[in-house]
Amino acid sequence: MSARESWTATPMPAVVVPHALGEGLAAEARARLERAGYTRYALLDRGSYDEVKAVGEAELLEALAGVAGEITGRSLVVAESRVLRLLPGDYVLLRHDRVHEGRPVELVLDLSPAVVPGAELHYRHRGQVFFTVPSAPGSLSLVERGPTVLCNHTYVSKLHAGASVVRLVVLLRE
Amino acid sequence: MWRLVSSFDDEARLGETWRAATPFPHLVFDDFVPVEVLPELLAVLEEEPVDRFEGDIFAFEASRPVPRTAELLQLRDSFAETLAGPLSRITDKMLRRADMRAFAYRPGHFLLPHSDHEEGVGRALAYAYYVPSPEPPLGGELELFTCTLEGREVVRTESALLIEPRSNRLVVFDVSDVSLHQVREVLGGLRVSLAGWFYP
Repeated sequence: MSARESWTATPMPAVVVPHALGEGLAAEARARLERAGYTRYALLDRGSYDEVKAVGEAELLEALAGVAGEITGRSLVVAESRVLRLLPGDYVLLRHDRVHEGRPVELVLDLSPAVVPGAELHYRHRGQVFFTVPSAPGSLSLVERGPTVLCNHTYVSKLHAGASVVRLVVLLRE
Repeated sequence: MWRLVSSFDDEARLGETWRAATPFPHLVFDDFVPVEVLPELLAVLEEEPVDRFEGDIFAFEASRPVPRTAELLQLRDSFAETLAGPLSRITDKMLRRADMRAFAYRPGHFLLPHSDHEEGVGRALAYAYYVPSPEPPLGGELELFTCTLEGREVVRTESALLIEPRSNRLVVFDVSDVSLHQVREVLGGLRVSLAGWFYP
């Protein structure tokens, strides 16, 4: 089944595209983000992570919007973008997410250097997980957001010392 | 089964300790149950089935909210009956009943920061009793946080206290908007506890 077919196959459109970005390009992006500098977020009843709010990756973002447009069949542009980095002990809770008006598409590009077992994205409809994005460096996920959909980034276990989960999160609108 | 240790004799002093405790009111009782009754308690737990529970803030094994065996029900009721009176006087909160679940935290299990406070649920006090473990846990501490408020909004959270899940220790703590706490991830061994809340 193609990504386009997967996208339209369920009432809650969502798909993972493996190997969307090569390891070399991901490493270059990580290095640029490191130079840009992460800011620590630590309101611990909501989340614990590093963040780059101003993502200076215009070329990459444009390319990703194009890929998302092809898969969803919609003409999409970047409305918001940020990069999250989760280290062992980090997480982003549901209560730190927000509902979105309309039907924007959330794209997440996994820029992590390596697989981190159990580090997943959980998309929930009325509280129930309907789509799980596993840790898969280079993969890209697309999920249609709306007023009933929320997302959490699962806890990164301290049993995985040295783990680093890097996600470019992009909100796309028509 | 439950007998109050001698430290409960001086309720006035415990009340002062409760009110002065930081980052929010709490009490810690070591050697809570006479050693000779521990085998009986462990036998009750061995009979109670547990399931895996997972959400955005937790991953652990636990019994159901309402115990399935008559023995755990009895243990819960006798716990509430023994402690509701003294804790009411110590904390100045009207307490009548308690719920109780058995928890097993294995490596990788955790309970992330939260306050327990839910409007309309009526939780007055939280408690955790640490049961002797065949393999004492590495990690699994109860961590209490200081919350800084602006209006009713939490704008800063800071780690304030770690309470080790020591065998035969009872921890009782306040439930409010700012009673932020977590169970740190267990990194080895097994953390076994009985925990729940007291209600009016």
